[in-house]
Amino acid sequence: MNNQIPWLTIITLFPLVASFLIPVIPDKQGKTLRWYALSVGLIDFALIAYALWQNYDLQDSGFQLVERYAWIPQIGLNWSLAVDGISMPLIVLAGLVTTLSIMAGWQVTHKPRLFYFLMLAMYSAQIGVFCAQDILLFFFMWELELVPVYMLISIWGGPRRLYAATKFILYTAIGSIFILVAALAMAFYGGNVTFDMAELGLKNYPLGFELLMYAALIIAYGVKLPIFPLHTWLPDAHGEASAPVSMILAGVLLKMGGYAIIRMNVEMLPDAHYYFAPVLAILGVVNIVYGALVSFAQTNLKRRMAYSSISHMGFVLLGIASYTELGMSGAVLQMLSHGLIAAALFFLAGVTYDRTHTLAMEKMGGLAKSMPTVFALFTIGSMASLALPGMSGFVGELAVFLGFATSDSYTSTFKVVVVLLSAIGLILTPIYLLSMLREVFYGKQTEELSQQILLDAKPREVFIAACLLIPVIGVGLYPKLVTQYYDVKTVEVATRARTAASAIAHQPVQVFTQASAAPKLTAGPELLGILK
Amino acid sequence: MDFASLAAQLNTGVIAPELIVIGTLLLVLVGDLIVGRTASTRWTPYIAIAGLLVSVGALYFQWDATDTVSFLGSFNGDALSIVFRGIIALSAAVTILMSVRYIEQSGTALAEFIVILLTATVGGMFLSGADELVMIFVSLETLSISSYLLTGYTKRDPRSNEAALKYLLIGASSSAIFLYGLSLLYGLSGGQTQLGQIADTIAATGLDQSIGLVIALVFVIAGIAFKIAAVPFHQWTPDVYEGSPTPVVAFLSVGSKAAGFALAVRLLVTAFPLLNDQWRFVLTALAILSMILGNVVALAQTSMKRMLAYSSIGQAGFVMIGLVIGTDAGYSAMLFYLLVYLFMNLGAFTCVILFSLRTGTDQISEYAGLYQKDPLLTLALSVCLLSLGGIPPLAGFFGKIYLFWAGWQAGAYGLVLLGLVTSVISIYYYIRVVKMMVVKEPHEMSDVVKNYPAPNWNLVGMRPLQVGLIVSLIATSLAGILSNPLFNLVNGAVEKTPILQAAIAARKSVATDLKLQKAPRLTVSSLK
Repeated sequence: MNNQIPWLTIITLFPLVASFLIPVIPDKQGKTLRWYALSVGLIDFALIAYALWQNYDLQDSGFQLVERYAWIPQIGLNWSLAVDGISMPLIVLAGLVTTLSIMAGWQVTHKPRLFYFLMLAMYSAQIGVFCAQDILLFFFMWELELVPVYMLISIWGGPRRLYAATKFILYTAIGSIFILVAALAMAFYGGNVTFDMAELGLKNYPLGFELLMYAALIIAYGVKLPIFPLHTWLPDAHGEASAPVSMILAGVLLKMGGYAIIRMNVEMLPDAHYYFAPVLAILGVVNIVYGALVSFAQTNLKRRMAYSSISHMGFVLLGIASYTELGMSGAVLQMLSHGLIAAALFFLAGVTYDRTHTLAMEKMGGLAKSMPTVFALFTIGSMASLALPGMSGFVGELAVFLGFATSDSYTSTFKVVVVLLSAIGLILTPIYLLSMLREVFYGKQTEELSQQILLDAKPREVFIAACLLIPVIGVGLYPKLVTQYYDVKTVEVATRARTAASAIAHQPVQVFTQASAAPKLTAGPELLGILK
Repeated sequence: MDFASLAAQLNTGVIAPELIVIGTLLLVLVGDLIVGRTASTRWTPYIAIAGLLVSVGALYFQWDATDTVSFLGSFNGDALSIVFRGIIALSAAVTILMSVRYIEQSGTALAEFIVILLTATVGGMFLSGADELVMIFVSLETLSISSYLLTGYTKRDPRSNEAALKYLLIGASSSAIFLYGLSLLYGLSGGQTQLGQIADTIAATGLDQSIGLVIALVFVIAGIAFKIAAVPFHQWTPDVYEGSPTPVVAFLSVGSKAAGFALAVRLLVTAFPLLNDQWRFVLTALAILSMILGNVVALAQTSMKRMLAYSSIGQAGFVMIGLVIGTDAGYSAMLFYLLVYLFMNLGAFTCVILFSLRTGTDQISEYAGLYQKDPLLTLALSVCLLSLGGIPPLAGFFGKIYLFWAGWQAGAYGLVLLGLVTSVISIYYYIRVVKMMVVKEPHEMSDVVKNYPAPNWNLVGMRPLQVGLIVSLIATSLAGILSNPLFNLVNGAVEKTPILQAAIAARKSVATDLKLQKAPRLTVSSLK
């Protein structure tokens, strides 16, 4: 704890504290509230930018702006916040996307008080997740976001919103059980009880225990990211949520999964990562190919984008599994780039929906004529998403590919198969995105549509899309714009992971005896005995 | 012997809080007789609440008392009992807040209701510190008989009558079983009635392997499990909860339950140290069954009161985790959870009462669309239910975290995992109600909500209800975030209680003995 201004606490708590004023603000014609919410969002974003600009040292790979206050010392829970190269860009992303989504929800007239209250509560929870350095605090923040998302989907969503929201909350709640269990198990392991993530990473766990923890955490974060068999909530939630909520869901919440995998699985459990990395790579490929194929089969605009998110998050997994600096850097870049692109696309889908009142692509067509600006923005977004050179998606995916291909942790056959299959996914991406553009914007307008008044994008909407797409192009042209912020950290993560891996690889015999004996010693009999 | 020296000899000061409640009770009773029914409704509830709060204040001053044994060992006002007595007195105070309007509307006498409720409170408070068999039974019966009366208090309502009869019959038989268990203890110990001496004598006479002791244990646990509504002794709960006046249900689910836990801790820890493993084993089974059955059956309920009844069974299961593991943290977590449970559950019941007063129904489906008509009630009920479900940043989240933390620390992995899974299940049915209130569109509103009267807080008894609502709302929202003082309170209570410390030390030495014999945690883990 130091005497500086507690910036992270301020930026984490400010939206939440501000949200408590919402019930008492007089709301004349529904205008005061949205301005209030927007200005809270903007102020917080400005605070984030200022605090990081002033205090963040790019050359330092460790934790910065560290704040640590004992919250409930009796159980070892600390209000412990810090940022490093991985969390810092994600905090900025969360601030940007959430602020823009408040702006995107400009026309919410249905229960506006509750809407803006929940949005601001989400704002805090997201930043809290990325800042938390205490695993219990992380869990707290992770759970904090649960009910607001549930409400946001179930009140302002599409026709099947209740089903989608319930599915979301059950999946996430069950997933987060694993976080808590892993947190408790690791915290109580050995003599000293601590929930501090850095200290947990320093403990020497037996391999079997570590594998168990890794598996538990990967299930929890696999629900969020999502990883292939645990993804089924996502198309429903993203498809049914309203545009501002989808923006946050796709833009930020998915990244919480990726972030947590890097932060906990890779950093805290490097030995287990050695064994799980091939699994992650395979799951990544499955995500890429499966997501792309299923996306192509969707007729609902938002569901198509939701599956495309699944496909794109596969690259994050691949990057994490690559064991190279480049791959790790690509994974982070892919998260950031997808955060921007997905938010833009979901926002534009919302803009289109506002005009057409349908998300079924077969009912649309020929929109380019009446909505040229939306069409242009949509095209830019899709191009970015299909990784056109000069856009951030390209850089991210290329870095992942290069990183994985140059990795010396895998046999060349494995690498060839993985890269080949994900390249197929890369080819599928333009197919479903371009066909989406074709169905929505080209061709002839349907009868129903021609009766609607199809106004082009308003300045507010162009502004939001531009805020998201300009960084995409900027990063695409000059990736260092972003990579400089986290490079030091990703290099360190990758190096550490590699060191741990090579340490294991050089003593295989010992490891395997450990691996077979350890689970029985640590958790086996007790767990079994209990479950009887 | 004059009165003062007698009082000093008996160490009467320890029961000052109870004496205050008894004084209040008499004041209400006599005052009501003198002034008459209509005039007395104006001040009796406030006198009663004031008395209860003064009693809580008196408890506060006893916190550091060293000489806690009074009435020649019948009553032990140690720190543990102080926390329990505080919980019971507070729950009675909040119950009175919520019952004024309810009793008014049901057309029965308020003062008598308060008198009976205070009697039950006195019974519960004495039970929390009772250290002797006769004392335990007398205070238990004081609590039980007043509870039977309370459940049947709205005598014109046939369902209330049915509930009272059911409760009386099942309660009487469980008391009989409990008493039989006590009589076995009395016999086995050769005529001892003090809990500590019972254990010593039984150990000294070498009867610790006696089958009679096991039977006594089973009977005693049956009696306690009835009070805390643990599965499979819960069958009375849903029917009684559904039929009784709602404020009574609130008291039964918090105050009476807390008294049951107080009895469980003291009796099992002090009188059955020889059967430590056995009683923990039985309670583990009860906890598992309660968590599963309470939470799963609550899913299917359509009546709010029945849902809360089953949820309170599940909640008791969570609390029992703390009791079963029997460590410092375990007992503290149990007390902490009971404290936050007090506010969140009473808050939920206050909301249910408010809703049923305005609409006359308890059906969950009738809550549809309430957000549009009464945001305050919606907020309060949502917060209390989400807190019961363990959603951060509400108090229940911290309560559950502490329980699971303590459970994991003690190696009760299975119980913790089960607790986690069942709390996810519980989130589902709690959030169903929230969804009903908040998510439903205006056109999906239920008929009663469409005709919902504009909130009018000026009716007789509405102010107290409002106060109760807001107090529990604030406590539920903030008790988690600012829980440091509560943690200090419960940890201090466990540290300052000799019987718990002795039990914990004994368990530790057993555990180390086992470790020395190279059978690490074998018995401990197989029990949990």
